[in-house]
Amino acid sequence: MRRSKAVSALSLVAASALVLSACGGGGGGEGDSNTGSTVDVKSMAEGKAQQGDEFQLADVPESEPVTVAIDEGFSAYNNKTADANSSYNNYVLVPVITGPFVLDGNNKVLLNKDVMESVTVTSEKPYTVEWKMKPGVKWSDGAPWGCEDFYLAWLAGSGAEGFNAASTTGYELMDNPTCKDDLTFEATFTEPYIDYKGLFSDVALLPAHVLEEQTGISDITKVKPSDKQAVKKAADFWANGWKGFKPDLMPASGPYKIKSFDQNADTVVLEKNPEWIGAKGGPSEVTIRAIPDTKAMATALQNGEIDVAASTQPDDTAANTMKNLASQGVNYGSAPQLTFEHFDLNYNRLFGDEAARKAFFQVVNREEIVSKLLKGVQSDIQPLNSIVFFEGEDGYQDLYSDKTNQGAEAAMKTLEAGGWKKGPDGIYQKNGKRFSVAISHNENERRSRTVEIVQSQARAAGMEIKDDTDPNFLKGRVDKGDYDIALFGWSSAPFKAEQKSIYITGGGQNWQGLSDPKIDQAFDKATSATNAEEATKHYQAADEALANQYATMPLFATPSMWGFRGIDRVYMQSYNGVLWNVGEWERTD
Amino acid sequence: MNLVFYILRRLAISVPILFIGSFLVFLMVAGAGDPLAEIRNQPNINPESIAALSHQLGLDKPLVPRYFDWLGGFLTGDWGISIAQGSAMEPVYPKIMNAFWVTFRLIIGAEILALILGIAVGVLAAVRQYTTIDYVATTLAFLFFSMPIFCVAIILKTYAIDINIVVNQLGWSDVLGNPFLRTTSPESLRADGVGDFVVTYIGAFLLPTLSIMFISFAAYSRFQRSSMLETLNMDYVRTARAKGLSGRRVIFRHAFRNAMIPVTTLFSVNFASVITGAIITERVFNWNGMGTVLVEAVNKNDPNVMMGWVVVIAIAVVLANLVADLLYGILDPRIRVG
Amino acid sequence: MNSLVTRAQSGDEPPIKDGEPDVTALPEPRSQGALVLRKFLRHKLAMASVGVLLLIALVALILPIFWPHSYWDASFPSYEPPSGDYPLGTTQVGKDMVSQILRGTQFSLLIALTVAIVATLIGVVFGALAGYLRGIVDSAVSRLTDLFLIVPQLAAAAILVKVFSGSWWVVAIVLALFGWMPIARITRAEAMSLSQREFVEAARASGAGTMRIVFKHLVPNMVGTITVNATLAVAQAVLAEAALSFIGLGVKPPDTSLGRVISDNYAQMTGRPWLFFGPFVVLVLISLSINFIGDGLRDAFDPRQRRVKA
Repeated sequence: MRRSKAVSALSLVAASALVLSACGGGGGGEGDSNTGSTVDVKSMAEGKAQQGDEFQLADVPESEPVTVAIDEGFSAYNNKTADANSSYNNYVLVPVITGPFVLDGNNKVLLNKDVMESVTVTSEKPYTVEWKMKPGVKWSDGAPWGCEDFYLAWLAGSGAEGFNAASTTGYELMDNPTCKDDLTFEATFTEPYIDYKGLFSDVALLPAHVLEEQTGISDITKVKPSDKQAVKKAADFWANGWKGFKPDLMPASGPYKIKSFDQNADTVVLEKNPEWIGAKGGPSEVTIRAIPDTKAMATALQNGEIDVAASTQPDDTAANTMKNLASQGVNYGSAPQLTFEHFDLNYNRLFGDEAARKAFFQVVNREEIVSKLLKGVQSDIQPLNSIVFFEGEDGYQDLYSDKTNQGAEAAMKTLEAGGWKKGPDGIYQKNGKRFSVAISHNENERRSRTVEIVQSQARAAGMEIKDDTDPNFLKGRVDKGDYDIALFGWSSAPFKAEQKSIYITGGGQNWQGLSDPKIDQAFDKATSATNAEEATKHYQAADEALANQYATMPLFATPSMWGFRGIDRVYMQSYNGVLWNVGEWERTD
Repeated sequence: MNLVFYILRRLAISVPILFIGSFLVFLMVAGAGDPLAEIRNQPNINPESIAALSHQLGLDKPLVPRYFDWLGGFLTGDWGISIAQGSAMEPVYPKIMNAFWVTFRLIIGAEILALILGIAVGVLAAVRQYTTIDYVATTLAFLFFSMPIFCVAIILKTYAIDINIVVNQLGWSDVLGNPFLRTTSPESLRADGVGDFVVTYIGAFLLPTLSIMFISFAAYSRFQRSSMLETLNMDYVRTARAKGLSGRRVIFRHAFRNAMIPVTTLFSVNFASVITGAIITERVFNWNGMGTVLVEAVNKNDPNVMMGWVVVIAIAVVLANLVADLLYGILDPRIRVG
Repeated sequence: MNSLVTRAQSGDEPPIKDGEPDVTALPEPRSQGALVLRKFLRHKLAMASVGVLLLIALVALILPIFWPHSYWDASFPSYEPPSGDYPLGTTQVGKDMVSQILRGTQFSLLIALTVAIVATLIGVVFGALAGYLRGIVDSAVSRLTDLFLIVPQLAAAAILVKVFSGSWWVVAIVLALFGWMPIARITRAEAMSLSQREFVEAARASGAGTMRIVFKHLVPNMVGTITVNATLAVAQAVLAEAALSFIGLGVKPPDTSLGRVISDNYAQMTGRPWLFFGPFVVLVLISLSINFIGDGLRDAFDPRQRRVKA
């Protein structure tokens, strides 16, 4: 649904900069958080006042300030530029910059009834969508919120020259959208775009009136992408004018506004937006700090320095610290994120040999990895058994359980059948080449430990695995295919179509040198399918063909984890973090 | 006038060193990989905006002109921008300067405490050589001296939580605050009134200050002890004693002042290793100082930040060494600088 | 004119102003060796430290041969408490802690020794040549020393270890490259004073070349200073490697070092103290005993020190 998610499907999930994208039909965010905490965290996934497909902030009493810790610091008010884009900006801006849709903890797409009347597809051919805003919604500086803000977001995302937008997906399909009136934005798409709900919702609606004042453009909605001069002026300001912290230029349209931003201290303080049209309650101030070490975050929660700890980097020790605080009123939650960890085998090196790939798959015991590293975070976690689908999605089938964890004996048999011979040092050899490969990954404790476990498993079957920790691995090495085995995470594809380029022959992200006509054909059929059911069928075929190649081994869907104290309900949303409903948090102490 | 010349000459000697050093580091940093790789890897990214960014950063130029561009900018106060993904092109100058201030105020406090404690214990141990006091001081110094600083910091941090629980149980938290000892940086703490402010900041500074202090203390006390012993064995001190001056008078009027000279200068000379200690301590206590900036810049391959970092530290080290020599001259009338 | 000798690390001696040479080791070759040895052997703490260090080194080398669990074997359950099978429990990935400590000790000692030897070699060669030749060589070496001193060792290592991502010897070489300066300064000062002495004059008069004088006459006469500082450099290198491991730039698994074992397990300090305190105690014992040995050597080499410390 959220196709316009800033850094989209095919981005890399680095330890430090987790980039997010969405899943297709919802359903990915399932998973019982089963946490041993005193309350049912799962029930907190929904907004207090949400009904059906509509979201509104519940009216709660105003309460004391809270302090929330996230992994990395906030950096920019405009999160849509290529250089600023990060999910941590998104976490902070979600209560500040409103949008037409809200995602609840289950990733359900809800119309934001606080600011919208409706969003409707008014025509299938040509595909036309109309956004109708609620009257009376204002920016915190008093200016009206409305159609021109939508228009600016479109202009920036349209690919018009000078806007260094992180992504143009969806927007570039709109053919000359217009403001029918101040509160109605209408766009015709050049091709059907069923994920229109994701547009404008990811903190994309920046204040057009500020841009107009600063650039001298009298009406942004009159500026067409072809209008070079005006576009350049607008683009310059859009790309650079919202850097740093300039309170006058950075009003809020959501329930909170930015009170202060100390870039050097990685700390942002939000306060209530007096002009907010919806419910006025919730914490009077929200301080958001960056604590990159998850263990330190848990310690800070234990020591009472923060009220909420929310991390995208699951850590067993930190999880235990938080769970053990249940008696002191700390609640703990965990849920799978829509990113998955995997091993990519490089066909251009030793793993061009099929027996080698198959044997490596057979010897790896993913259950051991998952249970040693992540059971403590999410007690019901299981290995992921599909590349194309997440567990719980339509089309998910177990394709990897019978290919992995077959034991050292089976792996050695496979190797011997493939012409490998055990060398004098106990390591298999073929044509004078030792079975010695490195697992490359970025600096991340969980990944180092994954490697340690696999090293031990593989050694029992005469394979030597080396650890190649390189902070720059995801920045300039992985995309050159400079690895034997790559260990990293993909965030899920909103459109399975976007996965195509990872796995088809010669695909842009096909760094492992995979080439299989079966996979190519299945993806081709799937992407040209006319309905979802047919597409799913072909994606399943592609998924199966991929598994039969022993090309990529999915490990697990990475869980998020969070803990909180003194607040009634906090749920860490997969893309938007914990603050998506901060306006309805109530203090319990 | 001599002194001014001396300072100027020392600084003039340092300039080429800083110049060559910064160029070597520049090569090292440039060799660390493509800083735009992560941005480049984003799908749907407009290749033109990458090219524009690359041009804006001068990455399309050869190394030597790029270095001089950087140097020119550096000398005029424009230290470039941070280009790590998600940094939103944050200017480097205020980032480094702020981080330096965070680290500096941490180091200064810790070092002053370490110096006072180190000198006191060192003198005591020397005057009472081969007594229990001497052995305890020696053992402690050797122990701290032999521990990795991150272990000291982590042990302090871990047990601080228990101390806070005790503080709460004793009901002292009304005065000391809850939590009293903090395991993260003091940024954006709320404080009502002066008393609260003082207590809050003591709680936040105490643990990292102690970890840096313990390590420095070990060196200072050993240093002070041996130089005190040496002084006590000098002829003029013996003479003073022989003339019938009281032990205390001899120690403080004659021996102490001279014995302090080496330690006081060590205080500045020690600077680089103290910075290393601070880097580690900041990591443990999540402070946004030079340590955090360095580790982040290295991990994110952010060239301008790395350059700024190294040069600021290098200048600080050069200045600290200069101060050390000046102090030496001031404390010891026999040595004339210049 | 240039800055003070940095002997902060060596901990125990006052800094010396350049040109005011430190005369700790007087050249009395024949009788001196025996005297030094006797003094050192009577230094109880140093002797005990030698014993402890030898014991640790021998155990780390020999015990792994007989120990039932391999250092790379992660097939055991995670976080087993101490028991007969696992005297210090197992780690999160399921490795036996004793095997980790043994392997870690091997590597920590190996790295530290390599660092100390390489740093001492560089430092002595540079320092001795500068002190003997003076003039332009001296200026060049002094400037080079200043150059390396302005960047903290840890920062340089952080950047370099990442660039040459690597094995234990990369870690060792990088630490040595940024650790030779104190030894060079001390050696230089001493070489300067020794080169005024008659026996150097005599050698020069008899037509010995620079290299011969420096390495046959000067260096042997500085053996005291060199030994003491090299010893202390080992202790420093153990700690430097640990610090590097803590910021994630140490050796790579399945190899490990004590620093890595400690930083992997510090979070278990309260919950499973054996996982932290096991490797921690071994590391502190190693570094402590080396420091004591260095102290003992210093006393033994110091001609002014007649009384032997208890």
